[in-house]
Amino acid sequence: MITNSHGKHGDAAIEAKGIVKRYKSGRGMIEVLKHVDIDAKHGDLTMIMGPSGSGKSTLIAALSGLLRPDEGSVAALDRPNLWKLSGGQIDKFRLDHCGFIFQGFNLFPSLTALQQVTTVLKYQGLSPDAAKARAKLALEEVGLGHRLNLRPAALSGGEKQRVAIARALAKDPQILFADEPTSALDGENGQIVIRLLRRAATEHGAAVICVTHDPRLEAWADRVIHIEDGVIIDDQRRTPNPDAALASH
Amino acid sequence: MSLALSTLLFEWRRYMAAVMALALSGLLVLAMTGVFLGIGKGFTAQIERSSADLIVMQPGAKSLFGGPSGVPRRFIPQVYNHPEIEEVQPFDMAGGSFQSVKDVDPTMSQADRARQGAPKMNWVSTQIIDTTPDAVTIPIDYSQELIDALRQPFTVAMDETTMPKLGVKLGDKALYNGKTVTVVGVLRGYPSMMQPTIVMSRDTLRMMGQADTGPNVGPLMVKLKDPTRASIVAAQLNEMGKGQWKVWTRQQLADANATALFEEGILVIIVAGCAVLGLIIGVAITWQTLRGAIMANIKEFASLRALGVGMGSLRRIVIELSFWVGIVGVGAAIFLTWGLSVLARMGAVLIVLHPVLLIIVGAFLIGIAMLSGILSMGILKKSQPADLLR
Repeated sequence: MITNSHGKHGDAAIEAKGIVKRYKSGRGMIEVLKHVDIDAKHGDLTMIMGPSGSGKSTLIAALSGLLRPDEGSVAALDRPNLWKLSGGQIDKFRLDHCGFIFQGFNLFPSLTALQQVTTVLKYQGLSPDAAKARAKLALEEVGLGHRLNLRPAALSGGEKQRVAIARALAKDPQILFADEPTSALDGENGQIVIRLLRRAATEHGAAVICVTHDPRLEAWADRVIHIEDGVIIDDQRRTPNPDAALASH
Repeated sequence: MSLALSTLLFEWRRYMAAVMALALSGLLVLAMTGVFLGIGKGFTAQIERSSADLIVMQPGAKSLFGGPSGVPRRFIPQVYNHPEIEEVQPFDMAGGSFQSVKDVDPTMSQADRARQGAPKMNWVSTQIIDTTPDAVTIPIDYSQELIDALRQPFTVAMDETTMPKLGVKLGDKALYNGKTVTVVGVLRGYPSMMQPTIVMSRDTLRMMGQADTGPNVGPLMVKLKDPTRASIVAAQLNEMGKGQWKVWTRQQLADANATALFEEGILVIIVAGCAVLGLIIGVAITWQTLRGAIMANIKEFASLRALGVGMGSLRRIVIELSFWVGIVGVGAAIFLTWGLSVLARMGAVLIVLHPVLLIIVGAFLIGIAMLSGILSMGILKKSQPADLLR
């Protein structure tokens, strides 16, 4: 295990109130998020589901400090309102506390799996040796201990996503954002990835917020939030089944 | 290895255009300057390649051709007063008309004679050597056979590239100032760039009536018993001269000659023009190449931003990347220029690569690369991590 447990399971890691985001569309404005209140707790795998265009990606962009909402506040960890901080402070907050996993893996083609992970760790101020040791552990945790020195071109899609997960987990994040992490993967690799996210929540106590439109992932979630047209229409807690199987696409 | 360096090495094809632009900018400046330096070396080769350890000139002289270089003849015995002097000889130069000899019917019309390649008269500049064994005025790369041949009266030698210009071959007879001379030697590596230059012995020049016989002579070429003590003896001689003369070591004079070349307005304009052109072309191509290359990795940069790596850090990556592109560009520029100078030497054109020049041009190219890097930073604004969320 590479990370410490953060917060107490069940404590709120992030709490957003009254989030409004509008986009310009032609002459008018479209309201993508309509006064959304949402929270996510340590140790939870919170799944945000909804059809495309429902505003789920915009919501996690606003929660993670990537996209400034027009109204509303986001309390994250000990920061009462993330959006009151300067751009540099938000970057620092993400560097210290947040992990990100995207649908595209976004790995530098020139770096080996190990270097992908150490590059980020070095920006956290770790010495090269410490970064290397931590990166190795993270890659071993995602089952890539034997692929450390391969570049993305030599890795399969599932392996690339696992490198991206290792890159996010090695930072020891208290909040982990994942945007459609399995949609570019086949069933088997998707299952590996969702299990890793599940583990990040259970074992590391991270608040994992996963956006997806794949209903089969629900089985692993502690909480499923449905969003449609910028409004949360359903928010239910459930008991995850860590042994659920994700059938092949 | 840093992200910037490993990206450059792994995706080198993407950066090739930038490296080539830098290399060609560097080549432009290095080759232009090198050719001018080479031309300058052509003028001063006779002295710079002689075995003279010291050269004595007037105090005001700034280089061999800058200011008064000749000295009063009485300086010769005065310089000999120093115990470490082996030999002192004045350099001598003259000039005259040179015409190859060819049997062409003098009664033919001028057009007909021209068609048959009738000789044309050229103005040449004449430099001398002494033909006594190991004389200080003999360039060190002259063969003994050449010196022996020039020892014969009324003989001349010239560079291989001068021969077609003057219309003569080895063994031909020609007219120098109306007197018959024989071409007995071919030089290599003494190209004359503007006015054709021929070499003869001091005795032949005297027989031509052109040698310095009056109270003034050319710069004094001084050979020492121990060449390693050149700078010490130069200082002592300067003291002995009490300001009447200035003593240069051969290297000092060669450097001064090269520097003096760039006091010529027109050369400076040409070289500066090349540098400005190189700068504009180099920056434009390098900038666009870097922009494209960064754009190709923009999603990766955006994912770093999402993970909290600040914009400042990304800018540093770009600056470092452009620095390395500059370093590779400098290497390529030096390699290309070296290749060109080898080719040029085959055509008997001298391109001189001075180390100081390499350093200046190297810094210039790295400057271009860094400037391009700064210009291409704007593209990083496109690394919006929110765009990665779909």
